[in-house]
Amino acid sequence: MPRTAMHASWLLRLRASLACYALLGVPIVLLGLFVYLPVCWAFSKSLFEYEVGGVSAFIGMANYIEFFTADPTTYVALANMLVFTLAAVLIRLTVPLIVAKLILSIPSERWRHVYRVVFLLPVVVSSVAMLLIWQGLVFSHQGLVNELLQYLGLGALRRAWLADPATAMGAVIFIGFPWIGGFEVLIYYAGLSAIPQSVNEAAQLEGCVGLRKFLLIDIPLVLSQLKLMLVLTIIAGIQGFQNLLIVTRGGPGYATFVPGLQMYYNAFSYQRFGYACAIGVVLFGLIFGLTILNMLYFKSSEDIQATA
Amino acid sequence: MNIWRILRQTALGATLVAGAWLLWPARGDDATANRDAAAARAATFTLRVMPGQFYAPGIAPGGVGEVNRAFADVVAAYEQLHPEIKIVLEPSLGNLREYLVTQLSAGTAPDIVMCNVEDVWGDVHKGWYVPLDAYLEEPNPYCAAGQPGAQHWWDQFAYQAISRAKTGPDGKMYCITYDMVETAIFYNKDIFRKVGVTPPTTWDEFEALMCTLRAAGYTPLQMVSVLYCDWALDLFLDQLYAAILPGIDLLKDPVREPYLDGYLDYDEICFLFRKGYFTRRDPRFRELWRQLRRFRSFANKDIATEDILRAFIAQKAAMLWSTSMLAYQLDADPNMDFAWGVFYLPRFTTNTSRYASDVDMCVIGGSGVQYEITNSSYTDTGDPATSRRLRWVIDFLRFLTAPANYTAIVNEHPIQVPNIVGVPVLPLMQPFAEILKRRYTTTKWCYTFDLQFLDVLGRTLPLYLDDHLTLDELLDWQEKNLASACARFERRKQLDFTAMEQRWQALAPQRAPMHDLPAPEGR
Amino acid sequence: MTPRASRCCIHAVLIALAVPTLLPFVFALNNSVRSTAEMYHGYFGMPQALREMAYCGWHALTGAEGTVRIVTDTKQMLTLSYAGACGWHARAITKNYVQAWTLLRPFVLNTVWVVIWVALGVLLSGSVAAFVLARFSFPGKRVVFFYFISTMMFPGVLTLVPSFLLVKQLGLLNSYSALIFPMIAGGQVFAIFVCKSFFDGLPQDLFDSAKIDGAGFFNLYWHLVLPLSQPVLAVVLIMNVLGTWNSFLWPFIVNTDTKYHVIASGLYVLSVSESASNMGVLFAAYMLASVPLLLLFAFATKPFMQGMTSGAFKA
Repeated sequence: MPRTAMHASWLLRLRASLACYALLGVPIVLLGLFVYLPVCWAFSKSLFEYEVGGVSAFIGMANYIEFFTADPTTYVALANMLVFTLAAVLIRLTVPLIVAKLILSIPSERWRHVYRVVFLLPVVVSSVAMLLIWQGLVFSHQGLVNELLQYLGLGALRRAWLADPATAMGAVIFIGFPWIGGFEVLIYYAGLSAIPQSVNEAAQLEGCVGLRKFLLIDIPLVLSQLKLMLVLTIIAGIQGFQNLLIVTRGGPGYATFVPGLQMYYNAFSYQRFGYACAIGVVLFGLIFGLTILNMLYFKSSEDIQATA
Repeated sequence: MNIWRILRQTALGATLVAGAWLLWPARGDDATANRDAAAARAATFTLRVMPGQFYAPGIAPGGVGEVNRAFADVVAAYEQLHPEIKIVLEPSLGNLREYLVTQLSAGTAPDIVMCNVEDVWGDVHKGWYVPLDAYLEEPNPYCAAGQPGAQHWWDQFAYQAISRAKTGPDGKMYCITYDMVETAIFYNKDIFRKVGVTPPTTWDEFEALMCTLRAAGYTPLQMVSVLYCDWALDLFLDQLYAAILPGIDLLKDPVREPYLDGYLDYDEICFLFRKGYFTRRDPRFRELWRQLRRFRSFANKDIATEDILRAFIAQKAAMLWSTSMLAYQLDADPNMDFAWGVFYLPRFTTNTSRYASDVDMCVIGGSGVQYEITNSSYTDTGDPATSRRLRWVIDFLRFLTAPANYTAIVNEHPIQVPNIVGVPVLPLMQPFAEILKRRYTTTKWCYTFDLQFLDVLGRTLPLYLDDHLTLDELLDWQEKNLASACARFERRKQLDFTAMEQRWQALAPQRAPMHDLPAPEGR
Repeated sequence: MTPRASRCCIHAVLIALAVPTLLPFVFALNNSVRSTAEMYHGYFGMPQALREMAYCGWHALTGAEGTVRIVTDTKQMLTLSYAGACGWHARAITKNYVQAWTLLRPFVLNTVWVVIWVALGVLLSGSVAAFVLARFSFPGKRVVFFYFISTMMFPGVLTLVPSFLLVKQLGLLNSYSALIFPMIAGGQVFAIFVCKSFFDGLPQDLFDSAKIDGAGFFNLYWHLVLPLSQPVLAVVLIMNVLGTWNSFLWPFIVNTDTKYHVIASGLYVLSVSESASNMGVLFAAYMLASVPLLLLFAFATKPFMQGMTSGAFKA
């Protein structure tokens, strides 16, 4: 190849690469500015006593030490987080899957469609409105639960469900009952209906039907969806606190307090931004650790199918 | 099939049109916006003012009766008087604290905000608020010669002690106390007559009265949990500590003490905490929570979420603790089918508690609407000393306190007690003005330190009141809370305790005859 | 069990689950046409105005003689014909909604504005970036892809506080930009991920033949990629709109000025502000806030469903 041609092709390639980078420029800058920069800040600010408009002093690991040894709310919050996450995992991996299976076992396509629409419908209600409705209409002093109890002659059981330490956590978990108004049903439904007809027919021939088929064939084949839900639910469980901010503000006392709320309060109410960043970093570490574990030890269903 | 498609498309089109129509700015909006914009261009300064929910135009206070108008009228009069100034009213919000922090750190807060001045004290060292002391000493140009205020703006304020008590921890005044609010026990006169009881004169009578009412099948008192953390706590603290104040009030504040005898400040509380006061070794401190717990036992079962007014109006509950606003609400309610009255909480006697100081209950209300001036006000020069804009903000506040304007605003509805000399107290507010003649409280405990202190208190005390914590567990929380609040405060203010220590030694003879003081450490 | 019986069983179970799923919303809808005074007596029960309206309407239709007396909120006595009373009650029913709409309208406008910009930004930057990553080779491509994808690992909770500080430093607190730019930044990652796996699956021949015809990047993108990737873009769009529509915490923190509230933060602020004492209006606002998404859902049921059933949701 003549030297000039080589030179030209190199130039062309450079130009093409530059064009590619130019096209990728906006997303790269946006991510750098609004994700990577804040992440770096979070790590560095967590080593500071930092107050907006006020003091900013380097204090080393003191924030982390305070979080793990001195803050009386830390372990309460972590324990609550664990309970909420476990409950969410249990609920989101079972109920919507069963409902999806039930819908799929209806022969009429029209009815299947109707049910899918009905169970997706609550998605349109703004989640804040949903929470406020549950707080104000279901669990309030004059709410659905208390009135129902009164009606059944169980007036003695009336209580402030979200404000009683004995019931607050249960009531929060109960919000959204029966927990199927959302995307989960559809996701499982998609997974289940993607099972090849041949598998279903083979199962039928082998006499593997009903519950046995559900457990032995369906569940392994939707494992990838289940795994996704598991990961999403755990991540949401560790970092989620918006719902709690709206319905209980972590109360009564610290009965529904979680680390996310602890961070929120320290940052925006107590104005301890450095400490809040440290809590954020700890939560990140938790999620990061679980992600690594997940990558190392859990196979996706494609792998399972491949080895089977 | 085709017809469905057409129908669908039509519906889609109709929806889009309807949506656009609903979201399109209304013509009226446009005209007002244009006029406002024109006025704003013509004006030298546009001041942003948050009147607060009591006086905000268009809001019916307490959700009853006519909506407010006076504030808008006064603003219009001001704009007419000073065409170079345009005033924009800002709504007040539920999440006030978060709102203020974000607005102020961004420098976009309204020039005048309304909130409890205690909420701003934590941020004053950042220069987010303007100290008003110098301006309060100047004359108010809107006061006629010879009238109060014509020489010093301060003189206009009727409740000097309470107003001056709002001085911040740094000794500066960051608010003007626009009006007074006071609380009282509202009671159902019909029920009282039926059961055969009368308003009490001592705490023991009060408790006996509540027992009688309960025996008669009524809920004696309607309460919400926040009242225990704020009002009841301060009143009880004062009842228990007032008598030993001469032995423990260390600092004489030249500005406030003439008005506020023996008020315990942050730094004093920090010092006393080191000496074992407000710890579990302090018998009075233990007694404080016990008394609160006892008081709670007379109230409704659900103090967390119940709408307390309901049972009172339905005549299932005999009493309710609330502010002067409720008097207006009850008065305006045409469906009220019973007579009601108010009385103030009676004093503890030595019979109630061996630690009782046996003094009258102090006031718990005091400053109602408080206006603060923020860092937005001097954005023209960046320096409060030279800012022309800030002068206008002050001028507008002075205009608001000019007696005629003030009367129009504060007495538009009987909801608060006026704090300007010469402005009449409306008849409905008279009982509250009576209560306000009492002594001011020893300390505002829940506002003593910062929001973290308040938050922990507000979370833990209701648990104890409903038996979810034991007294020792609660004391543990309070001690830890106070310890960390003191540590934060000492660090921030770099407290020097030597002066207080000297004074402490000097007061030893005063304390000698006093009983049940906390045992020194190690015993 | 016969197939028929088991089918009935399944229907029974599903209906039994559907009822409590929708019940709270039905009650909220019911309360949205009741007055605060009615709610003082209880949260449940037929709206008084509706009952009266039906009663008067029936009498008006059957041509019954007579008049109805109505006591207004301001305690005035009105005497109206049946038809007039029917209209009066109809207005009473819509009153909460009219009031709620005046409160909600600015929030809806803000939300729509933000949603449009975020969706456009995410679609554009996501599809272009995915296209570049999927179909062109250049040095550092893997690094760039990793740069995009690893942001999925950072939880929102880590960046919440520093992002707030950043937006403050940029002077963007209380502005639409404070919502739009961070939301595009965060939302495009999912778009890049989904679009790239879709573009990877497109046959190379298509692109080759187009290139032979002399199509440049823009032409390829506009005439080939966009038409082909409509279904996947619809998924991205819908997920993004839903996400933006429901976002609460970020708008709540950065835009505290009422002027810039979106629906979610606006509803929360309404629920804790003075307006909360008028519960009927509050419930009407909750219901109204759902209408735009309900319409989107009604007119785009298919992409909605497809989005969920697409291959994007597995691990």
